Amino acid sequence: MLELALSAAVMVSFLAGTFQFGYTFYVYNQLVTAVGNGARYAATRTYRAATAQDVERGATAIRNMVVFGDARPAKDATPAVANLTANQVDVRWTKDPGGVPTAVDVSIREFSVNAVFKTFKFTGRPGVEFPYVGKYSPSENEPDPSGDKPGPLGSKE
Amino acid sequence: MLLLLAVLGMAFDLGRIYIARNEAQIFTDAASMAAAAKLDGTAAGIARARDAVANLPDRWNLGTSEFKGVVIEFSADGAKWESDPKDASGMKLARVIAPDNNLEITFLRAVGGPERFRIAARSAAAKDPVRLIE
Repeated sequence: MLELALSAAVMVSFLAGTFQFGYTFYVYNQLVTAVGNGARYAATRTYRAATAQDVERGATAIRNMVVFGDARPAKDATPAVANLTANQVDVRWTKDPGGVPTAVDVSIREFSVNAVFKTFKFTGRPGVEFPYVGKYSPSENEPDPSGDKPGPLGSKE
Repeated sequence: MLLLLAVLGMAFDLGRIYIARNEAQIFTDAASMAAAAKLDGTAAGIARARDAVANLPDRWNLGTSEFKGVVIEFSADGAKWESDPKDASGMKLARVIAPDNNLEITFLRAVGGPERFRIAARSAAAKDPVRLIE
């Protein structure tokens, strides 16, 4: 009986640790994929900057791409990573002295993975930087996101 | 005990391998686009392409390790790739290979697995417009 209790304690802690790391790595890998997809999209999309609102709408589209895999997701879209919201995604532009974007950095600001036995928190990672190779259009407006397919973040403007 | 180690190794080491592969692929995607964007038909453009790749901050191994031994190649037609082209005038494609990212295996080696696992990734991009092609 004592042997069983001792070996069970070791086995349970072993299996708990296995689950913790396995699940956390699984979620982290999903985050890496989501951030990579968002950054690839950001790097090639047209940068419209007629107004500050247009710049923000562009950032919203990028955040939606990270979270939902779609720049203009349906209202009932589910996130690619459970519990990930657009507010947790950082989009930062590097610009030359003329204000033309040269690179975009997309990262997860803060995300917690609840692995049942322990919660892991990621701050500022994963994050990736892509060179900006899209069209710079400082006088163009972003399309109104409250069109046919309003997104969760951009539909209330 | 060996079975438990194998299960833990599958979760821990394979999890890290998958993440590292993903990180390496994203790096080569970004690097090949950065290199292709700098190509302008001159030797200076080739040098700027190399600099752009060297200056990318993307990392691997849960975002902690720099990519080392990165290979940058250029091509005019996608068939013949050169790392140091003599004639830069026709170069329209850039390919970046991250060939040698060795991930240390923690648990699986205790049950006969390798001590290190090599993670490689490769991407190619074209200019005008800059887009990934591979």
